[in-house]
Amino acid sequence: MPVTRERLHRTLNPEVVAVIGDKKASGYSWLRSLQTFSGKLYSVQVDPNEIPGIEELGVENYASLAEIPERVDFAVCAVPRQVAPFIVQGCVDADVGGVTLFTSGFAETGEELGVELQDKIHEIAAPSGLALIGPNCMGVHIPRLGVRFNRDQPHGVEGEIGFISQSGTHGMNFSLTGAANGLYCSSLVSFGNGIILEAADYLDYLADDERTRVIAMYIEGARDGRRLFESLKAAAARKPVIIWKGGQTEGGGRAIRSHTASLASDQAVWDAVIRQVGAVAAHNLDEMVDVVKATLLARRPRGNRLGLIAMTGGQSVVLTDAFEKAGWKVPTLSDASYAQLAEFFNIIGGSYRNPLDAAGTIGQSPEHLDTIFDILDADENIDAVAMELSATFMARRWREKPEEFDRLIGSIKRFMGKSEKPFLAALHPSHVEPEALEARQRLQQEQIPTFPSFERAANALRKSAGLAAV
Amino acid sequence: MTTAEAAGIVPRARAEGRALLSEVEAKAMLAEFGVAVTDTRLASSVDEAAAIAAELGYPVALKVVADEITHKTDVGGVELGIADADELRAAAGRIHEAVAAAAPGVAPAGLSVQPMAAPGTEVILGITQDQQFGPVLMFGLGGVFVELLKDVAFRVVPLEPRDASEMIREIQGFPVLEGFRGAEPADLAAIERMLLQLSEFAEAHPEVAELDLNPVFARADGAIAVDARIVLTPDGE
Repeated sequence: MPVTRERLHRTLNPEVVAVIGDKKASGYSWLRSLQTFSGKLYSVQVDPNEIPGIEELGVENYASLAEIPERVDFAVCAVPRQVAPFIVQGCVDADVGGVTLFTSGFAETGEELGVELQDKIHEIAAPSGLALIGPNCMGVHIPRLGVRFNRDQPHGVEGEIGFISQSGTHGMNFSLTGAANGLYCSSLVSFGNGIILEAADYLDYLADDERTRVIAMYIEGARDGRRLFESLKAAAARKPVIIWKGGQTEGGGRAIRSHTASLASDQAVWDAVIRQVGAVAAHNLDEMVDVVKATLLARRPRGNRLGLIAMTGGQSVVLTDAFEKAGWKVPTLSDASYAQLAEFFNIIGGSYRNPLDAAGTIGQSPEHLDTIFDILDADENIDAVAMELSATFMARRWREKPEEFDRLIGSIKRFMGKSEKPFLAALHPSHVEPEALEARQRLQQEQIPTFPSFERAANALRKSAGLAAV
Repeated sequence: MTTAEAAGIVPRARAEGRALLSEVEAKAMLAEFGVAVTDTRLASSVDEAAAIAAELGYPVALKVVADEITHKTDVGGVELGIADADELRAAAGRIHEAVAAAAPGVAPAGLSVQPMAAPGTEVILGITQDQQFGPVLMFGLGGVFVELLKDVAFRVVPLEPRDASEMIREIQGFPVLEGFRGAEPADLAAIERMLLQLSEFAEAHPEVAELDLNPVFARADGAIAVDARIVLTPDGE
């Protein structure tokens, strides 16, 4: 019996959660991480040495799932592998919605016992319709409901990113680094060996999920590539899908006798799949965060021509280089724009050809930034606007005179609110990092897409512009 | 070759324990799907080759046909631009000697004869089977571009027309096909058509593990496959 959408929905929107087999040796990390859960949390543990520690956390403990007085929507199973099949049977018997098997030591070990136990779990779960996640995975993170598998993960915050990860580490890292960037998940699933539910199942679910605006995934390989292809295609037609493909699958070991076969590396084929379905590729965590950020926070550009605002001449040059290397054009502005700029732009130590080297002009009068934004908004030669925010020159001043920073943010928000053109900011790490960090966090709160380098900004916008659906 | 004969190619190769189809066989199977290929016929003797050449019209190309030989050029098994019957006999002699020296013990099944196609930009089209995604199509510029620069694009079968169009434009060398420096632009629609025909071919022939159409001449007025190589999956897969 396949896992129904309703069953998976119940699992990913739980009201009752149970942790099976948490223990002192691991610091009761599951129960501690789930202390933020907004619904009712239970523990299942039979070892009398472990129970006092669980009760100290204020969690009711039972000797079995069957004894819990409520129907459990989502269970976390952290028992040794030999016990796992019995727990899965218990989940089936107690009509648990879904269970994540943190337990590892199955087929991934390649040893006979591991394979046998995995087959046994599959045998129990497959006919039942139980939404079994894993084994060998970190499971589920839903910030909105405080469902977490790590104590640093965010809670009590609505997210819009559906994240699917074959790896627990990369799922966790995205949830943490994403949160540090103001990006939160609607649902995050680390699915490990994926013996019942695999990437395609979560894709199908998230493509339909109203809370999810962007789907991001980390994947190493697919058991059923054709099905994944179809699911990706369907999902990417509806929502932006960003794929981080890790690792290289080895060839089949067949003697290759054609150019075509010799060139069709795992990476080449995955790159083709990602293009073909209308998704885009990210190649590491930073790029994933950047592309998700640009996709969620920046509008989609109509073309590839950038209007750039920098604070010095030197930065104007490298800002241009960074965007042009990423495939953007930095054209001259319209005659009308130049006529307007000539009226107020300070050309002593500045220039306005494009990029606009504007520190002096804005310093003279902050309203000039609004005027510059209006000119770029109206200019037909420009499809998007990127701006250098110089921590080196400004971060200390922003702290000393917060009203100036407020004013800058106000101008940016005003532009973002009224223009159809995407806006991006770059704020490099600097020698005054505590002050820069404050500024960065403020920009993040204000939903201004800010990147730590020109290159990352340029790349993020380029990749997000390549998505089929935005 | 008739449809019935084309349908018998794979079973016959299987029965003979061959994984590599001859150029003549490969082209016959492809022609069934509308793929433009040069009219290529098998001759079991030099006299027969001369008769075929007379019928097809000179100039012709002559190639060795032997299951053991994957890369015919490497063993001196290819003679191009043969102008008349005398040259054909001399060329057949050279192939015979070269193959005997380079691949001793190989008994060629014969020679293939085909008219010399009017040249165009050389491109390569191919099929391979990916472990995860099944049949995959490749497109690239031929010759040094594919061998040295690996400037190729892939798509998973089945292709939609948009996929064919995009993969042609995805390669670095695409300007070459657009008519670089005043050269005649290639018939891109014909290449797209051939890619879509290969997509259908791949869906219909899961037993084809590998296919190279190399080269295909992409000309201003169409595209034609000059050489074709098909490798079957191991029997029983």
